[in-house]
Amino acid sequence: MIYLTLAYEFFKIGLFSFGGGYATIPFLYHISEAYSWYTVKELTNMIAVASVTPGPVGINVATFAGLKTAGIFGSMVATVSEMLPSFILVILVSKILKKFSQSFFVKSLLETLKPISCALLLSVSIGLLKPQIADIKAMILLCVLLLMSRKSKKDPLFYIVIAGSIGVVFSFL
Amino acid sequence: MSLFRLFFVFVKIGAILLGGGYVILPIMQNEFVEKRKLITHDEMINYFAISQSLPGIVAANISMFVGYKLMGKRGALTAMFGIIFVPFWSIVVLASVLYMFINNIYVIGAMWGVGVAVVALILLTTRELWQSSKRDLFFYLIFLMALIALLVFKRSPIQTILIFSVLGVLIKLFTKREVSK
Repeated sequence: MIYLTLAYEFFKIGLFSFGGGYATIPFLYHISEAYSWYTVKELTNMIAVASVTPGPVGINVATFAGLKTAGIFGSMVATVSEMLPSFILVILVSKILKKFSQSFFVKSLLETLKPISCALLLSVSIGLLKPQIADIKAMILLCVLLLMSRKSKKDPLFYIVIAGSIGVVFSFL
Repeated sequence: MSLFRLFFVFVKIGAILLGGGYVILPIMQNEFVEKRKLITHDEMINYFAISQSLPGIVAANISMFVGYKLMGKRGALTAMFGIIFVPFWSIVVLASVLYMFINNIYVIGAMWGVGVAVVALILLTTRELWQSSKRDLFFYLIFLMALIALLVFKRSPIQTILIFSVLGVLIKLFTKREVSK
């Protein structure tokens, strides 16, 4: 029975949370109040752990909450239920786009999405940069990484590994 | 590309998805546009924008769009299970141990560095998108208005996308006649 409730709650999160991982958190607070599957304190810890392990925070927290509530099977149910609405919507939207790809509306919609995406990405960069701007070491590292990219284009993993290792080295100092 | 191969590409992407879901775009660009040339740059940007305007986790949405484009429904399912593979097992196996490490100074140091790399990657992706776009008056107009909506008026991405895509299509509709002449 708990699996059904888990599936229902996380399906709802997948259907109603807009704007990425952290948007799911209010729903998870609601769950902690409604079901006592986990406490608010535990949720705070879950979010901290979820942001250190790989993967989108929204999915990691679902896995974690499912695990806490009903073991490994629970975590599978929670994770898959959370992604199910996306799965259905992505297929629907893909089909619509394909069918009407030559129509005026779809063409101009896609053309409009480009400048909007540019603005979105820039605002995300600014949002992420803000808490780091006073950190001189972070700014120097950022400049070095950006300069490195001018020499040759590298795999994103390369930047992540290099910067992560530099971070570890700095913590010795 | 076989379904099996697709699964492993997504497992790899899931494994390096550190520092939040934002790096998904640079990573997918690298894997599917540059290395394998299976998806065009424009398609990837469209998937990114559409994923932002759909409910659910953005990184999962983009992955499923790419999976579906390449191999239909099975491809989308494969992408979904691939992208969560490493994140899922790292939570299940490491969760109880990780509590102890969250406050470890080396872990904090590494996450600090990863955070800087994420900013660098997003900036590079923005630059790439900027350079590859056809920048006409329409582009600058929508770009500036969207940026102001996001930064000054603090609209959410979904609100911004909805408002300006309607506006953009309307502008296109009204200028259609002149363009087609």
